[in-house]
Parts: sequence; structure tokens; C-alpha cells
Amino acid sequence: MDSAEVEFLAEKEMVTIIPNFSLDKIYLIGGDLGPFNPGLPVEVPLWLAMNLKQRQKCRVIPPEWMDVEKLEEMRDQERKEETFTPMPSPYYMELTKLLLNHASDNIPKADEIRTLIKDMWDTRIAKLRVSADSFVKQQEAHAKLDNLTLMEINTTGAFLTEALNHMYKLRTNLHPAQSAQSQDF
Amino acid sequence: MPATQMPMRYGHPEGHTDVCFDDSGSCIVTCGSDGDVRIWKDLDDDDPKSINVGDRAYSCALKKGKLVTSVSNNTIQIHTFPNGAPDGILTRFTTNANHVVFNRDGAKIAAGSGDFMVKIVDVMDSSQQKTFRGHDAPVLSVSFDPKDIFLASASCDGSVKVWQISDQTCAISWPLLQKCNDVINAKSICRLAWQPESGKLLAIPVGNIIKLYRRETWRNEFDLSDNFITLPLNVVTWSPCEKYLAAGSVNGCIVVWNVETKDCMERVKHEKGYTICGLAWHPTSRQLAYTDAEGNLGLLENVSGMGNKVYSHLFDGDDDSDNADNGDFLNENMEFQLIPKGRTDYEDDEDDLMLASGYPRHRNHILEDDDSSVEVALMEKGSHCEKEEEKDEHWGSTHAVLLSTSRRPFYDGPMPSPQQKPFQSGSTPPHLTHRFMVWNSVGIIRCYNDDQDSAIDVEFHDTSIHHATHLSNTLNYTIADLSHEAILLACESTTELASKLHCLHFSSWDSSKEWTVDMPPHEDIKAICLGQGWAASATSALLLHIFSIGGVQKEVFSLPGPVVSMAGHGEQLLIAFHRGTGFDGDQCLGIQLLELGKKKKQVLHGDPLPLTRKSYLAWVGFSAEGTPCYVDSEGIVRMLNRRLGNTWTPICNTKEHCKGKSDHYWVVGIHENPQQLRCIPCKGSRFPPTLPRPAVAILSFRLPYCQIATEKGQMEEQFWRSVIFHNHLDYLSENGYEYEESTKNQTIKEQQELLMKMFALSCKLDREFRCVELAELMTQNAVNLAIKYASRSRRLILAQRLSELAVEKAAELAASLNEEEEDFRNKLNTSSTTEWSQPRVVNHKVEENNSEDSEEADEIEEKTDLHKNRQNPFCKNGSSADGPAIKSVTSSNQGRVNPFKVSASSKESTISVNPTSSNILDNMKKLSKKSTVPNRTANKEKSPVLKPLIPKPKSKQVPATNFFQACTSQTDKIVEEKKNPENSLSESPAMSAQNIENERPKTGFQMWLEENRSDILADHPDLSEEPDIIREGMNRFRMLSDEERKAWAHKAKGGATKETETKKRKEPSLDNTKQREQGNPKENLNLSKKQKTLDISTNQKLSAFAFKKD
Repeated sequence: MDSAEVEFLAEKEMVTIIPNFSLDKIYLIGGDLGPFNPGLPVEVPLWLAMNLKQRQKCRVIPPEWMDVEKLEEMRDQERKEETFTPMPSPYYMELTKLLLNHASDNIPKADEIRTLIKDMWDTRIAKLRVSADSFVKQQEAHAKLDNLTLMEINTTGAFLTEALNHMYKLRTNLHPAQSAQSQDF
Repeated sequence: MPATQMPMRYGHPEGHTDVCFDDSGSCIVTCGSDGDVRIWKDLDDDDPKSINVGDRAYSCALKKGKLVTSVSNNTIQIHTFPNGAPDGILTRFTTNANHVVFNRDGAKIAAGSGDFMVKIVDVMDSSQQKTFRGHDAPVLSVSFDPKDIFLASASCDGSVKVWQISDQTCAISWPLLQKCNDVINAKSICRLAWQPESGKLLAIPVGNIIKLYRRETWRNEFDLSDNFITLPLNVVTWSPCEKYLAAGSVNGCIVVWNVETKDCMERVKHEKGYTICGLAWHPTSRQLAYTDAEGNLGLLENVSGMGNKVYSHLFDGDDDSDNADNGDFLNENMEFQLIPKGRTDYEDDEDDLMLASGYPRHRNHILEDDDSSVEVALMEKGSHCEKEEEKDEHWGSTHAVLLSTSRRPFYDGPMPSPQQKPFQSGSTPPHLTHRFMVWNSVGIIRCYNDDQDSAIDVEFHDTSIHHATHLSNTLNYTIADLSHEAILLACESTTELASKLHCLHFSSWDSSKEWTVDMPPHEDIKAICLGQGWAASATSALLLHIFSIGGVQKEVFSLPGPVVSMAGHGEQLLIAFHRGTGFDGDQCLGIQLLELGKKKKQVLHGDPLPLTRKSYLAWVGFSAEGTPCYVDSEGIVRMLNRRLGNTWTPICNTKEHCKGKSDHYWVVGIHENPQQLRCIPCKGSRFPPTLPRPAVAILSFRLPYCQIATEKGQMEEQFWRSVIFHNHLDYLSENGYEYEESTKNQTIKEQQELLMKMFALSCKLDREFRCVELAELMTQNAVNLAIKYASRSRRLILAQRLSELAVEKAAELAASLNEEEEDFRNKLNTSSTTEWSQPRVVNHKVEENNSEDSEEADEIEEKTDLHKNRQNPFCKNGSSADGPAIKSVTSSNQGRVNPFKVSASSKESTISVNPTSSNILDNMKKLSKKSTVPNRTANKEKSPVLKPLIPKPKSKQVPATNFFQACTSQTDKIVEEKKNPENSLSESPAMSAQNIENERPKTGFQMWLEENRSDILADHPDLSEEPDIIREGMNRFRMLSDEERKAWAHKAKGGATKETETKKRKEPSLDNTKQREQGNPKENLNLSKKQKTLDISTNQKLSAFAFKKD
């Protein structure tokens, strides 16, 4: 899975928008959306929100957690704790990125939020690296990581498993290789 | 000269605060919920010194350079003052102390805590403690007797106790306060106070009055009260000279009395009306510092200082001499103190008093003497009623109050309340730099008033109306309105310029989109509004100008009073104005409703506008459907009930939805269909800020009916709400607007269902009279059903009564039908005697379906012939509406069924449409639906109703979904049908369960079944019965994927027309189908109805055929 796919999944998250057009309920495979009344908040999936926003058909209301104070608190908590703390949304990174890229005019203090989310992300990825490092160093067979989001798993997952495979091969080949070498000569 | 109220300033974050002065009065000390103690040099001190004492500070006291605070870690701490260095912990409780005070010499402190205890601790030696147990709830406040003999305390258990300090016994306890379980729930924090020098009187704030108790006798000496105080008093404090008593209330009133004369010297209202929770007199000057529960600090200057001088001439000689005595006394003493200081200004008594009290020791003596004179004065007054008092203490006290009030020279009746200023609905106050000028259903107009420039932003909710615009506001427009056609702006006159009305008519088809009108000199525009094709402005000259939207001046007329607000919608103009002066906080408003259409008329002739007590008008306007509504400051939304002689019905109390006390909902729009109250939740304020951009929330309506918790109450509320919220349909039809028949039919159906439910409920409760009353509200069809229900539940008397009723109804119907032939319009009015206006439906139909009517009548006659055996005789009054009623009778020939019981064999019944499992409510729905069938055909090309007025989209979808929900709860049977997507594709939004039955012959499932019947038979040769085959088919059909099913449904729908025709041809030949059809003649009937619209003659044949089968 690559990050584009994760982002695709994230686009199913519901966000609240205020449309500036009027439209009846629309019936989609994923469920019914609407009705859209100008000026009245309505919940739609992120993909639709982004589409409408790009066509300037709506204003996006940022999710409740997308607030500087709350995020600061979360970031501090994340920094304080050894383990991963629960995130406000399983797609926090994707949501933030999409919303801030396309609807930053509707989000108060967008820059601060971007920084805060980036801080949290960095902290968590650093934790992930550290834990992967200790996992490899201690040659553990399994490990459990809670509260990781899909995007985070996706950043290291493929690489880590591949790396472990390689290491496994190297380790298992270590002794036979020596003997093979001796046979060669 | 009244006290000058200095502007409030931020002191602490919101939460409880306390305030005191230091001994010299040189600084104000406050503590607040942030745990800081702030030392303010004066009110304008921009950099107060802060001492952090804990997480939260509840109370503080200061004396002799020691600052004592009660903080959230349950301790009483001591800090040095003014350095703020911690000086140890005096005592601890198991929970936080609510109030802490010093005694007079500053050697001891007393603290009352949430753990029901009161403690006295020696400041120098904290091991010297005395504990007072006896309160049964958290202690609210404590007060030291200046002579250190007694201690008073108030508690949440409702008692105020006086303790003997020496032996820690309770000297007296009065049950004065309201009981509560915690300090935060207490109505008042009840900061009581002893007279600071003599300790003769103990002042206790009890509700809206202050009770004064005499020391030792513990008798209620007198009460102090004032009409200005409307809510409980929180705090009471004595002035250092003991003459004055100040009290602060929970709604921000500060009142100062002269205790001797019992006159109210000052009445000051907190600028925002926040709760006063700290109040302190300056030890020497005429200042009174106060803090509110939002953390603000305020100061009153020149409080009551003028007492003797200004008021003395107003009083009788008796009083005067008392005052003079005091004054002289003070002066004498003053002189000997002041001479050494070289002070030569004797003229200002009050200044002297201030200086004098700067020397506490000396002043002590002086005031002790002074006290005696005060006491003499009190005794003199009190002696009049001393005897009565002995007989009846209560009477005595009131008498005392009466005495005191009778001395008042000024007016003591109800106080006129200031008239509220004119406003635009949906605007925020004009003094704000960033404000909403209008927020309505069309869009938002914002105004920015910065130093350098001023601008107006117009934004439309629906950008298809017009794009957002930005205007510079050079003329300083303050009033605005917005409609689908235009933006209207107005400004008041200045010294050079006249008041202007400016219209941006953006929907104009020519190139000049703007016009401006100058008002005559000395005439200021106070309120404006826009309607459809017109604009109106009300001016200070009590004139109302009407303009066409293009700028032509039209009517002008005088208003009965100063305008408060106006609103326009379509051709209607609503004007709220002052009818007169309100008293005691009430407003006295009137309302006019005019119609400016072709037939101009006045609907409401300046009738009084009902408002909640002590509230003012906050919003006035129309619902999206055009019914006048308004909201008052207490959050009650009222709507005009045109059916009930234009009365106002409260439809929502927004306060019920608020979480906090100071939260409000700011209404921006009202919709009747769907029922929505659109408003913006405002936390801790009455109106929203422009940034961050507020979001609209939707509240539901609820009429204030009794016993809303019971099933009966709920249904009654629902029923009448439905009635009120559909009055607009009648109004629209009366005024020749188009509207969707489907919504009306939907409504009637909903109402009839509710009535039927209530009927059944009353039946169950053996309330037969009530049943008849309910039946009176029903339509003819529903009454027939009710008869059926009654007879089946063996209530023969009821059934008979109902049939009498049905005869009456039928007669009425016949009469109205006759009239109708003469004149449709007249009939609309005359038939309004029947609530349910079945005849009206007929009306509309007749217009559209004249041709169909005759056929239908034929059909009915046929039917009546066929079913004479169990016919009720009233159906003969042949009208289209009666047709279905007959059918109901025919179809409900099964055994007795509980109409509300969910049928267990739902699946089977769905398929085989077994008549035994059909129930009354099903039939009922069918009936009311039936009457709509012809309409639907006429209605097929739905034109957007009332174009600019009604929101196009919502009216269609939402009710449909609502209905489906309702259906599921009532009949499981329909659930199965719902799975067939046909439902959602149905062409009419009013499509409902019965329609499904109507359309049964062409559902996707049946098409599928036709095709796959052979397969099923092949697989299960043992299946011979039709129901079994269908059941098996159903199972298979359900195994199909959603898409396939949808495809079938689609096919069924697409081929609907064709299908029915082919079926007609096939029918005689296809045995199976025929059997099915025979099994359910009712269904067949429905089918025939459906087809009638296609081909009337075949339809007739078909129905005849169907009936022969029966």
C-alpha cells in the first residue's frame, strides 16, 4: 500500500461543510448525502468536501480537534509519553494535509495547526524509529505498537518487513556461508 | 449626584472572585479563579502586582499587612502584604473554604468550609483553633462580630447561625435561605455582615431583601428592599461608618441604603448584568469596589457620599435632626483631629469623614458615640411599632418597612422601563467594530468599522443568487437588509447630510443597479426591510415609507408608535413598534401586519405583542413559508396562528437547549417544512462574533403542552404542532400561491394518523367521550375507520355516536360540495369550521380533475352496490373523497386485530397480502392516500413553489424520509417492501406504503418472479400453492445482489407503463396472476385507480372486472 492509497481511504472520513448552493439529497453507493441547503452545515465525505471547496461551492468547518489549544495539549502529551498516544482521528495527518492545502482559508490559525501536526508526526515517527531500532537490536520475535495510524504504519511498514527479511537471510546464511567459502577454496 | 460607575475592567478569568481594600485604602486587592491575588493601585492600574496563592482562590481577607486566602488545596494560607511572601498555612479543611474573614483587630480569622465546618484560628498561633460544628451543608459565608463574642455563618442547608465564640455553641439559627447541596448550586453566596463597629445589627441577604437582626435579641429589626432588585442578593457590606449598607445581586444590581432612614441611596446596574460576588467599601473614601463572577473588577465613585447634604432637605424634620446630629458630631471630632494636620476645609463633611476614618483608633471612639446616636434614631423609629412587634414579629417588621417607605418623598410605584432601541433582526449591536448588519436566510452582511476605513461585506448563502460583494462604507451605514433581489442600506443623518436610504438592486435587468433616497430633514431612518418587489423604511418621524424595488416612492403612512423592528416577506410587511411605556422591565410593544399585494389590507391592526415578562424583542421576521414569527430576549419563539384568530403560539424555548445559564441562541431563520429553527449557539453571550465564523445549528420546535412526558401529551403536542406548522398551506392557497399538494396530503395523513393513535389510546383507557371528541377532529375517512375500530373493540355506544358524527360530517361535506359549485374561494373560508379540511382537498382536486370526477363517481356507485351488505349508509354522499372510505370497509372484514401490534407473520403477509394480517392503520393510510391519487397526476410537473419564498429542495426529500421512519415503526409489513428500491425511485415524494401496494403489480420482485417462476417450479415441484411459490421466490430474490435487485427494480419502473398494459392483456390468460389478483381485490382496485390516469375506459372495465371477482 502506498500513501496515495491511504489518502484515498482517508477521503471517506466525514467532514462538515457549509454549502453555498442548494441541492436535493443525492444517493450514492456509499450512502445518501445531503440535502444541501445554502448556509446550513452538512456532513459529507472529505473527497466531496475537497471537490466542492475547489469549485468554491462550500466552506469547510474544521473538525473539532483541529484547534491550536487541543493540538498543543496532544503534542505535549505525545512528547511526554514513551508510548504512542491516541490520535484525534485515525487519519489525522491526511485530513490535516488535505484540509490545510485546499481549505486553509476556512481554518483559523492554519499555519500553527500545520506546525503542530508536523511536530506530532515527527515525534511519533521518531518513536517508531526508536522502537524499530530496539526491536532489531534486541532481535525480538514480535512487538506490539498501539495507537498507530495507517499512514504511520505505511511509512515504515514495508521497509521494516523487507529489512527484517534481508537480515534474516543474512543471519541464516552467516554460518553456511562460512563453510561454503571454505569449500570454495 | 448619583455614583459614577467606572468602566469594568478585566481582573481575573471568569469564575468566582473576591475583593477587599487594604487598611489605608490605597489599593484594591482581588482574588480569582486563576489562583492569583492582584493588588491594584487603582482601577486604571495597568500592571497590578500578582501573587500566586494556589490553583484557585475562593476568598481573601487583608488586615495589618497579612493577606489571608482560602485556596483550592483546602488550606487557609497567609501571605505578607504587600510583598506577597508566603507566611505559612493557618489551617486546613477536608475541602476548600468558601469564605474567610478577619476579626476586627486582625488577630483571628474565621473560615467556613465546604465540609460543613467553621473554624476560628489565631493568626499568630495557628494551634489556637476553635471549630464550630452544626451546619448540615457547606458553609457559604462567615462574619465576625466586631466585639468578638459572636460569629455568624450562613450555610447551604438554608440556615444562618450565630455562634457564641467562647463556648462554640449555637446562639440562634434562622432557617432563612433556600436549601441546596453545594455552593455552586446556591442561589446566592449570602455574604452576611455585622455592623462593623458596634455590631448592633447583623445584615443578611435573603432573596431580594436584606434582613437586619438585632444583636442579642436576635429579632428581625427591619428589612431593606428595593424594587430595583429583581434577583437574589449575593453580597452585603456595611460602610465603615456603619451608616450605609451596600448589597450586590446575582444580576448585577448594586444598591446602597442609608440604614438610618432606610432610604435607597444608590441603584447601580452592572454594565453587563453579571453576578456581583465581591463588594468592598473603601475604608475612608466614597468608593465601592466590586467584582463579578466573570472576573471583572469595577468601582463606584462618590457612593452615597452626599447622603446628608443632598437628601437631608428632602426628609422630615425628625430625620433631619438625626442626620444633623450625626454630622455635627462628626464635625466636632473632626475638628480636633484635623487642626493639627493644618487642614482648614470644614465645609465638606464627607471629606472630613474620609480623613477621619483614616485614623482607626480615634475614629473608633467617634463612631462609637456616633453609633449611639444612630441607635437612638433607630429606637425612636422602632418604638412606634414596638408594641405591635411583640404581638406579631412579622407584622412588625413589615410595618417598619412600610414606615420607612412612607417617608420616601419620591415615586415608589412600578418603574417605567426604558424603551428598547430599534434594531434589525439578525444584527449585532452597532457599537461593535466588527458586526453583523444582517444574517438572514438569504445571506450575511458584515460591517467592519476600523479606524482607517469602514467597509461592508455582503455574502450570499447561495452564490447562485449573486456573488459576494464588498462595499466601502463612507456614509457610515448602520442598518441593512438583504433579499433575493436587493441589498438595502440606511444611515442616520449627520450634521451635514440627511438620512439616506441606499438600495443595490442587483437583480435589475437594466444597467443601473443602484438608487438612493434622502429622507426629509430631521427624519432619521430607524428600521428598514425588503419584501418581494418593495422596500420599506420607518423613520423617527413615525412615518413609514414604501418604495418599489426600483426606487419609485409609493405609500407613506404614520406609525402608531416608535418603530422597534420591521420585516418583510413576499407581500407581507410586519412592523413592531412601541405602543406605550412598559413598567418594571417589561416592554409594551404592538405589531402591525400589512399585505401590500394587489388587495392591500391590514391583517394585524397594531395588536399588543405578547412578550415574556421582563424581556424585550430580539428577532422578528417570517418563516421561510411566510408566517410571522418573533423571538424575545428570553429565547421564546412565537409564531402567528392564523387559524386561531391570529394569535401567537410559543413554538420553541431556545433556553431549554442552552447548556449554560449565560448561553443563548441567536436566531437567524425559521422553517416550517421541514420544521427547523436555524440559529447560532453563542456561548456566554447573546450574539455571535464575526470571527471565528459562527456555524448555524438547527433546533427542533416544541409547543409548551402539558404532560409532555406521557404518550398522550406527546401525541397531542405533535398533532397541534403539525396543525400550526401547516397553517401556511391554507394561507398560501388563500392567497393564490402555488404549493405542493403532496406536502398537504402528507400533513393530513400525519395528522390523521396521530388522531387515530390518540383515538385508540383513549379507547384503551375507556375514555369514550374523549374518543368522540377526537373523532370530531378527524376527516370523514378516519371517522369511518374509528367506527370500525370501536365496533370491533365492542364499544357499541361509541360506534353509534361516531356514526352519528359521521352523518353530520357527511352532511357538512355535501353542503360544502354544493356551495363549492358556486364559488371555490368562498368555500375555502366557509369550510374552515371543520378542522381537517378534507373538503379543501376536494376543492383543489375538483379544479384539476373535473373530468375524472365523473368516472370516479361511477366507480363508487358500482362499489356501493357491490358492498351493500356491509355498507355504511353515509357513503352515498358521493364525493371523490368518499370512495376510499368504502374500500376500507370492504377490506377490513377480518377478525379483530390490535392495530398497534406488530404483525408477527410479516413476511408472509407481505407476499401473499393476506387480508387477515392487514390492520387498521394500514387501511387508514391507504385512505388518506387515496384521496391524493388524482392530485398526483395533476401534480406531476412540479413547479418550484412560490419561487423566491420557499426553499426548493428540502420540502421534498425530508418529509419522505420522515415518513418512512414512521412507517417502519407502525407496520413491519412495509419493511419488506422498503427493501425493494422501487421506493426510493418513486416519482412522488409523498410516495408511501400504500403506493407500494398500489404499484405492487410492477415491482422488481414480481417481474423477476414472472421470469423465474419456471425455475422455481422446476426446483421445487412440490410447491403448488401460490403463496409458497412466492415465498420461495422471495428467498431467492433476496439472495440476489443489491445491484441485480436494483436493476430489476429499475426495469420495473422503466417499464411501468408498458408493464401495466401488457399485464392487462395477459391477465385473463395468466392463471397465476389472476389468482393473485383475486386474492386481493383491494389491490386490484388500487391498480385500477392507477391506470385510470392512463386509460380511463380500460380502467373502468378493469375495475368492474375486479369487483365481479369479489
